[in-house]
Amino acid sequence: MSDILIILLGTTMLYVSAVSRIEAYVKALAAQGLILFFLVVIDIRQISWLNITFLIFETLVVKAAVIPYFLLTVIRKNETVREVEPYISQFYSLLAASGIFIFGFVAAFWSSRTGGTVKPLYFGVSIVMIILSLFLIVNRKRIITHILCYMMLENGIFLLSLSVANELPMLVNIGVLLDLFVAVFLFAIFFNKIHEIYDGSHVDVLTELKD
Amino acid sequence: MISLVIILPLVLGLIVLAARRKSVNRTALLGSASVYIAVAFLQWRGIAWSWLPGWLLEYFRFDSIGLYFFAVMALVFAGVAVYSLSYFKAHSLSAKQESVYVAEMLFFVVAMAGVILATHLALLWVFVEATTLTSALLIYFEKKKSSLEAAWKYIYICSIGIALAFVGIILLSIGSESVGSLFFSDLYEHASQINPFWLKLSFAFIFVGIGTKAGIAPIHAWLPDAHSEAPSPVSALLSGTLLNSAFLGLLRVQEILIRAHQEAFSNFILLLTGFLSLFVSAVFMLRIRNYKRMLAYSSVENMGIMFIGVGLGQPGLFAAMLHTFAHSLSKTSLFLTSGNILRDYKSKKVEEVRGLLKRDSVTGWLWIVSALSIIGIPPFPIFISKFFIIKAFWLNGESWLAVLFFLFIIIESFGMGSAVFNMAFGEPQSDDTGRIKTVLPAYAPQVVLLIILLIVGTDMPHQALDLINKAAGFLR
Repeated sequence: MSDILIILLGTTMLYVSAVSRIEAYVKALAAQGLILFFLVVIDIRQISWLNITFLIFETLVVKAAVIPYFLLTVIRKNETVREVEPYISQFYSLLAASGIFIFGFVAAFWSSRTGGTVKPLYFGVSIVMIILSLFLIVNRKRIITHILCYMMLENGIFLLSLSVANELPMLVNIGVLLDLFVAVFLFAIFFNKIHEIYDGSHVDVLTELKD
Repeated sequence: MISLVIILPLVLGLIVLAARRKSVNRTALLGSASVYIAVAFLQWRGIAWSWLPGWLLEYFRFDSIGLYFFAVMALVFAGVAVYSLSYFKAHSLSAKQESVYVAEMLFFVVAMAGVILATHLALLWVFVEATTLTSALLIYFEKKKSSLEAAWKYIYICSIGIALAFVGIILLSIGSESVGSLFFSDLYEHASQINPFWLKLSFAFIFVGIGTKAGIAPIHAWLPDAHSEAPSPVSALLSGTLLNSAFLGLLRVQEILIRAHQEAFSNFILLLTGFLSLFVSAVFMLRIRNYKRMLAYSSVENMGIMFIGVGLGQPGLFAAMLHTFAHSLSKTSLFLTSGNILRDYKSKKVEEVRGLLKRDSVTGWLWIVSALSIIGIPPFPIFISKFFIIKAFWLNGESWLAVLFFLFIIIESFGMGSAVFNMAFGEPQSDDTGRIKTVLPAYAPQVVLLIILLIVGTDMPHQALDLINKAAGFLR
């Protein structure tokens, strides 16, 4: 079951590589949060109930609901054009995504041979999510897509952390989540300001500072 | 002690935001800076106590290197806090604006103290990310178009970098399953059990992430923008303490590699990026037009020198530690003085600032002396640290690298020196000959910092030497 969920998670990344609507990114982000929630529930290991409760809160409430809803509100308030506007066409984007997936599966296969307790499919798909998010960040013009792809990068890292047997102390988990939450909040503040001052939200407008 | 360093400024920050009164703002800022100086002194004398519960205390500790970096931070913070009074006056800030400035600065300082004192790798990561979040709004404090661009680039680039550092932490966790903990003490003790492949891979990721915050080339893109667009006291704090705390984070990870006998790999990366930083800053320094950006590129250069010192292994460690201290104090003095220049001339362009000595002689002299300190003219301690690094190259049998190092620092010294002297001498333009009203907080911090540097450079007190040696001894 968890394998199917992880494949679904990978599919959401292929989906965002192909779509052109910004709101589709938000839906994919919410879907990722939900899938991560199911993964946490299905794949419960011998960890404390406090940690499980925290992980459920992090995935179901923060990743699947609060952050997507918050970003959707920001988009609806600011964006008049709701296309992602890539630097390269969707076709090539999808082609690159396929290449990254092949690399991810090679990494999964390789990690299964290292002899550790790493879960290969978790490892491979999380690597795909991280690299593909970075690829989408450099390949999209709109600042809001950068924020959305950053969140997908964070989801990839979350999946990677699930592939590891060791758990982090609760204090650290809370700190990580707090950082993520404040980061998204600040991103939104700066995005609003850029939209207001520059009358646009492409990264191309940010060219005042140079040597 | 930990409660005074972490919790007190947080509480004061919240009080400042609620009260929005000038007297409260200033008391909180100067009070926190005094507490930091007092804590550094008491810790150094071995006097410590805490009211915090034991489970929380295990996450924070003053070790030899942490105490050293904390002491440097306390000095810089104190200088910045005093100078901020003149910044408030020069910009006629309202009580509300002041309270936002003070609260953000206190939160930022707490985050940096957290990085310095954290005993757990992932907690260190949390605080490094917190430094980004707390300082981003400070960079945008003056609400200019250019500062918005700088703040956005800063928060976004650093957040991506830090996210990659977290990947590194997870990879280290994979490689250290038998250790079962990310507390530095456990990682050091069982370093030999960590899988070397995962350890090196994790170092690469952590280096990219925390190296971004340390402003090392080629991942320094945010630094010149953020340092030049932030208010001058904030630039001083960014350059004098933020870069150091990120550097300390890397040193703590470097120690794991040393104990696992994998330091050849990390030393190579440190040397490579160190030289790349010298190269990048040399290229930009020669054609620099904005004096605050010049100081920012000088920070890239000096971080490069520190990385090289550590990359050289045992012979370069003392130099790296001394350089950390000397760079922080000199650069703080320079950034604070640049605030005076900006106040007087309303321009950041080198060619628009002429006759500084005639227009505001104290600022002019502070500008020249601070520049001499950062360039490394004797008797300032940067001369000693650079000299020891060149000596370390010789001891390691890499004399050709010493020549390259020397060449880069000469180019940078020339670039910086020519800009500084062009600004200081000559005749002021006809329309900017008005008298400058002297405000003590605008000059006193730089004078004190330069006196400390002169004392350390001419006749280093054995207590200071002991502190630096103990910090250098952290890396085995």
